Amino acid sequence: MNDEKFVEVKNLKKVYDNGHEAIKDVSFSVKKGDLVCLLGPSGCGKTTILNMLAGLLNPTSGDILFDGKSVVNVAPKDRQIGYVFQNYALYPHMTVLQNVMFPLTVGKQKMPKDEARKIAEKYMATTQITELADQKPGNLSGGQQQRVAIARALVQQPKILLMDEPLSNLDARLRLKIREEIRALVKSVGITTLFVTHDQEEALSIGDKIILFNNGVIQQDDLGQNFYLEPNNYFVANFVGNPVIDNFNVKVNGGKITGSDFEINVDDLDKDRFKRDLTDGEYVLSVRPENILPVEEDGAVSAKVDDVELIGRERILKFTHDGGQARSLVNLETPIKPGDNINLKMRLDRVFLFTKEGERVY
Amino acid sequence: MKKIRWGTLIAYIILAIFAIITVFPFIYMILGGLMSFRETTTIPPTIIPKHFEWSNYAKVFAQAPFARYFLNTFITASVTTIVSLFNALLGAFAMVNLKFKGKGVVQMVLLSLLMVPGEAIIFTNYNTIARMGLLNTYIGLVLPFLTSIFYMYYLQSYFGSISQTIYKAAMIDGASDWEYIWKILVPMSKGGLFTVALLSFISGWNSFLWPLLVTNEDSMRLLNNGLTSFASDAGSETQLQLAAATLTVLPILILYFIFRKQIIRGVVRNDLKG
Repeated sequence: MNDEKFVEVKNLKKVYDNGHEAIKDVSFSVKKGDLVCLLGPSGCGKTTILNMLAGLLNPTSGDILFDGKSVVNVAPKDRQIGYVFQNYALYPHMTVLQNVMFPLTVGKQKMPKDEARKIAEKYMATTQITELADQKPGNLSGGQQQRVAIARALVQQPKILLMDEPLSNLDARLRLKIREEIRALVKSVGITTLFVTHDQEEALSIGDKIILFNNGVIQQDDLGQNFYLEPNNYFVANFVGNPVIDNFNVKVNGGKITGSDFEINVDDLDKDRFKRDLTDGEYVLSVRPENILPVEEDGAVSAKVDDVELIGRERILKFTHDGGQARSLVNLETPIKPGDNINLKMRLDRVFLFTKEGERVY
Repeated sequence: MKKIRWGTLIAYIILAIFAIITVFPFIYMILGGLMSFRETTTIPPTIIPKHFEWSNYAKVFAQAPFARYFLNTFITASVTTIVSLFNALLGAFAMVNLKFKGKGVVQMVLLSLLMVPGEAIIFTNYNTIARMGLLNTYIGLVLPFLTSIFYMYYLQSYFGSISQTIYKAAMIDGASDWEYIWKILVPMSKGGLFTVALLSFISGWNSFLWPLLVTNEDSMRLLNNGLTSFASDAGSETQLQLAAATLTVLPILILYFIFRKQIIRGVVRNDLKG
């Protein structure tokens, strides 16, 4: 048994026939029973990876191991995986029961109808679709189709469940509900799950850990909160977080960090948080909107509020700074109106410094 | 008061005129088959016969082996339909779902062959069949029509509209290609397959030139050829010719009548007909 590295991807590469390098040397591993989210913007290669794990695509190079065994040359049907497609891919001419039974009525797993029916009914009960047994997929709502797809994926009792943006076709409210259900279901079955999504909120709420991709490269492979607190690089800092992080162009010179109208002493920064020595030059200083707050006294940044947006418990103050828009996230009760002039102060133990190439320095 | 829409009215009148022009020969053929000889040849022509001469049909069957023609036509049309449909199904599946080297080239060659009219290769086909000693046999009649690029191409566009993820899902569910074809692809494409079968059967039923070339024995003739030879055999008995023609067309008319929706849909879908 190989529980720590139940799924292991080693130096995986995929170059498409047209020369597009979708995946560039990706390695990661997944613990048995974990629910891991593959997160990234469209076209970052996350679905390509899922398809390679499923065997629907062949990697150009590298290796994929399930439970310590390489599966690169194993056909999809023999990999003991379940797959939930973005559009569910239910068979429209079959009833729900027939759809769920299908994997048990074909190929090597073929078994007598009665037996297949029993197993199918068990998983239909788990996913709460028993009463839909005789319906055709076309008559079902998105959420119901989703459950049918999950039941069909689980009925083969796979070791690994792969889900490709399973919530993207659902409306917002249902998405919240189903994602909780999926997590609960996957945990109760105890199956190792890889879940592809482009929605950071979804990833943060559902995943035991998150692997963030961009341009076919892993940007960060970490626990959810670390994407907020300790982003690996400029891309991660900007991809994760809502409202998005504020970025200020700064120059570092002789122990001072100088922005367009503020100055920070390098000595005021937390020394333990430096990733490497700070040399003079141009940098980007990033701070999350909840860590740059209005203060009474003269702060680091002064600005005029352009707009105030209400988002539930909080308000976003939008202001223009150095030509770009920046945000501050404040309490709902804060009595600041558009047009007000405010002073803002950053929490220096929460700011990040990135090089122009995106590498994190602080 | 409702306003008369002149444009619509004119359109309907024009449509009606063309419909009558199109349908008239059929109607006259059916009525003519029930006239006496005199009625078919009088001037001005008779439209509705005084007595329906059903005995014309008995005479037709007595004068020529029409039952045999029917059987021959039915056999060849059915065999070509079943086999070409099967081949088109497998070919289209391969082109849509399988990955293989040279797929693009194969596709291009097939498409360019589609441009070659059947008449252009009919003599080479004839030579082949003749040298194989298959003249006056069922095999000779059906062999050149057992595959059809057009039908394959038609099904390909039909299968292409089925999401690729359905195929992937079936692969992961453990289905073999064979199982995918019969349990998923065929049930999901009933409409397309049916259209192809119908078009193939009708064109098999109506075939004329090829059976004329490869058969000369009465027992191997198909309906259309039987009809022409009957026309010359029956000489001036026009009422019998019309009765025989009605017999030939009737099954196809019935098919059209029952399945007109599918046929129209099938022809409209691809903007062209085989």
